Amino acid sequence: MENISEILKSERQQTWRDELRKSMKAKERTSIPRVKMPEQDPHVRNKNHEEVNMGLTDKMAMKEAQRCLDCVDPTCITGCPVGINIPKFIKRIEQGEFLESAKTLKETNALPAVCGRVCPQEVQCEANCFYVQKLKKDPVAIGFLERFAADYERNSGSISVPRVEHKNGIKVAVIGSGPSGLAVAGDMVKWGYDVTVFEALHEIGGVLKYGIPEFRLPNEIVDVEINNLKQMGVKFETNFIVGTTAKVDDLKKEGFKAFFVGSGAGLPKFMNIPGENYRRIFSSNEYLTRVNLMNAANPEYDTPVFSGKNVAVIGGGNTAMDSVRTSKRLGAARSMIIYRRSIEEMPARVEEVKHAQEEDVEFMNLNSPVEYFSDEKGNVNKMIVQKMELGEPDSSGRRRPVPLEGSEYEVEVDTVVVAIGVSPNPLIPASMPELEVTDWGTIKVDKETMQSSVEGIFAGGDIVRGGATVILAMGDGRRAAKGMHEYLKAKAPAK
Amino acid sequence: MAELTTKYLGLSLSNPLIVGSSGLTDSVENILELEKAGAGAVVLKSLFEEQIMLEVDSSLKEAYQNDMIYSAKSETLDYIDLHIRERTLSAYIELIKETKKKVMIPVIASINCVSSAEWINFANYFEEAGADALELNIAILPSDDKTKASEIEKVHFEIIEKVRSKVKIPLSIKMSSSFTNLAQMIKRLSETGIDGIVMFNRFYTPDFDINNFAEKSSNTFSTAAESGNIRRWVGIMSSKIDSDLAASTGIHSAEDMIKQLLAGARAVQVVSTIYRNGKDQIQKMLGGLNQWMDEKGYNTIEQFRGKLSQEKTSNPSAYERIQFMRYFSEIK
Repeated sequence: MENISEILKSERQQTWRDELRKSMKAKERTSIPRVKMPEQDPHVRNKNHEEVNMGLTDKMAMKEAQRCLDCVDPTCITGCPVGINIPKFIKRIEQGEFLESAKTLKETNALPAVCGRVCPQEVQCEANCFYVQKLKKDPVAIGFLERFAADYERNSGSISVPRVEHKNGIKVAVIGSGPSGLAVAGDMVKWGYDVTVFEALHEIGGVLKYGIPEFRLPNEIVDVEINNLKQMGVKFETNFIVGTTAKVDDLKKEGFKAFFVGSGAGLPKFMNIPGENYRRIFSSNEYLTRVNLMNAANPEYDTPVFSGKNVAVIGGGNTAMDSVRTSKRLGAARSMIIYRRSIEEMPARVEEVKHAQEEDVEFMNLNSPVEYFSDEKGNVNKMIVQKMELGEPDSSGRRRPVPLEGSEYEVEVDTVVVAIGVSPNPLIPASMPELEVTDWGTIKVDKETMQSSVEGIFAGGDIVRGGATVILAMGDGRRAAKGMHEYLKAKAPAK
Repeated sequence: MAELTTKYLGLSLSNPLIVGSSGLTDSVENILELEKAGAGAVVLKSLFEEQIMLEVDSSLKEAYQNDMIYSAKSETLDYIDLHIRERTLSAYIELIKETKKKVMIPVIASINCVSSAEWINFANYFEEAGADALELNIAILPSDDKTKASEIEKVHFEIIEKVRSKVKIPLSIKMSSSFTNLAQMIKRLSETGIDGIVMFNRFYTPDFDINNFAEKSSNTFSTAAESGNIRRWVGIMSSKIDSDLAASTGIHSAEDMIKQLLAGARAVQVVSTIYRNGKDQIQKMLGGLNQWMDEKGYNTIEQFRGKLSQEKTSNPSAYERIQFMRYFSEIK
């Protein structure tokens, strides 16, 4: 850690940074208001699948970059799970050196355009910004700037491919092409390994593709970042289910020396209340995967998803927001969030809640479903909802939702999406009984190296955490890559 | 050789000895051994409402302290209480299903409730899983000085009503003896139509370690002396109510069992003595009952059940005597 501090310090002392800092008084910088992200009009965007946020212009980005004080102690970095050199990439934007800025991002982050869009910056880097900590003002828009630099590079046509070390011929396998897998692949290929990523679905990107809708993260953005990895030499095998198509032992025989398991948490959870098996009650996984990956929004397609007029989405996280906003885009007249706590307690990003509200999503907070009913064909047509109140705080400090006796009422629905969390994918643990798992089915790993109970098998992301953000998964991937690199070095010392 | 069969909650039992809800009845393997040892029925280890709440709290603590499990922004963590309940219920349902597949004796599921919260709605899953009956273990210590006696009583009736509306299998209530007017409470409970009443649940009792100034648990196991109070209430109520009575607490020998049957119980629930003496204790107790019946010339339990209940005994006032007066005054 001391080493990293020294590097940051010496980079801050470089002449260009020093001159840039002195070019403007701190007071002038702090008097600039935080930039507002241009967005599609809510009533237009809730009928299309185009991206909601339109991105900053060069001028807006440079102005926002001026707000950054280039602090001696950049606390923002401590909030970033992958440790991006935040002041440096922002100061490159202020300087107008946008491609250099993107290069800085890629030093530690294989997917900057993705993170700039989906990271919960308000609880990570931005929460640790000097503006928030000391000035009690809006933080520097680090996420918007990250997205700007990555988009600029992509649109410039001169995408930098990080330097890759001389190939060492050691084969490593990455299971799952979600954010943690892509982060491992990015680091390992940089260090000269022969990396193959095995993906169960027909598309690469994992949750970035099947879980996050186009209006929040266009698939094209993910593809650009994946192409970048391909150019660095990462190989991808789609429609390949490790544990079924081939087991880890089979891959070992193929010469793979180490494995990273990033197979995610794709097993949906339900509330197990009466009537939950009726038709048109979906898990958020199914609903979003069908729309995002299987073109189910298109009624002409082979397997369209039912476009209900009265859609209830159960839950208060980002997946719930993605599902309810998707339902609006599929033509719902009434799209409801039914969540058992108050709006302040929703785990969804503040921006996603705000966007959903602007798009006419109805928020039914302090309500929880009790039972579903169906028509004669077995299609859900009604639900009983019970009102809740907040009781005593639980050990997390949040007040527990308590049902209000006798407060049940009916709501007409023709589609329900249940978004109350997921379980780890059981395929790999089931095919490897020697792999230690927790009571929750997550793989047990060493926190530093991310190595599992089985030598040479590393894991990270949702399969270890149960549920995580994209950037946390990427942080796991980077730590696992380091652990795997050390492990392989120890096994086969350099000649 | 006497006939030991009895009817309890409408179920036919090969004998009146039921192994009560405990760690002895928490796995299929254990229950198979109890059946082999001769138990007439088993009450599965209770699904504790409080325990689920505690597990939720401890999981939340773990999740917040160990950031490797469920980040704070995860939907799964947000609904962790539901998921824990689901996991616990699934395991319990699996226990019922597996037990029913492998044993012939009646299997009674058990829920320990402290409120009429919505989760007892899951009782119908126990019925679907094949439980022969359901025992509601309602254990509320009247320690809250703001709660009226009537409010505590009301919870019992609410729970029974809710569960009754969900399931058709026989229902029993394992109740506490801490009521202002116990006889009236038992009568009112019976009037709900509940199939059986188990007298009584035994509360955890705190004790002190005086050397280390610490709290500790006292008397994990019951003693035979505790069965006297149970016998009194079984004797007073057995002829006044329609619900079947099962005696529980302090029944450690054939003699203890016979006394409860004479007071009017249809069955007894046994736990501590099996923990102390092993599963063979079941055969010893049944053998003792058999021998006594042979000696007394009884062929069936019904021939003597309730013979010494308050209604039938020659000295009914003994049941209501609360002072020892002459007994002690005669001791010089």
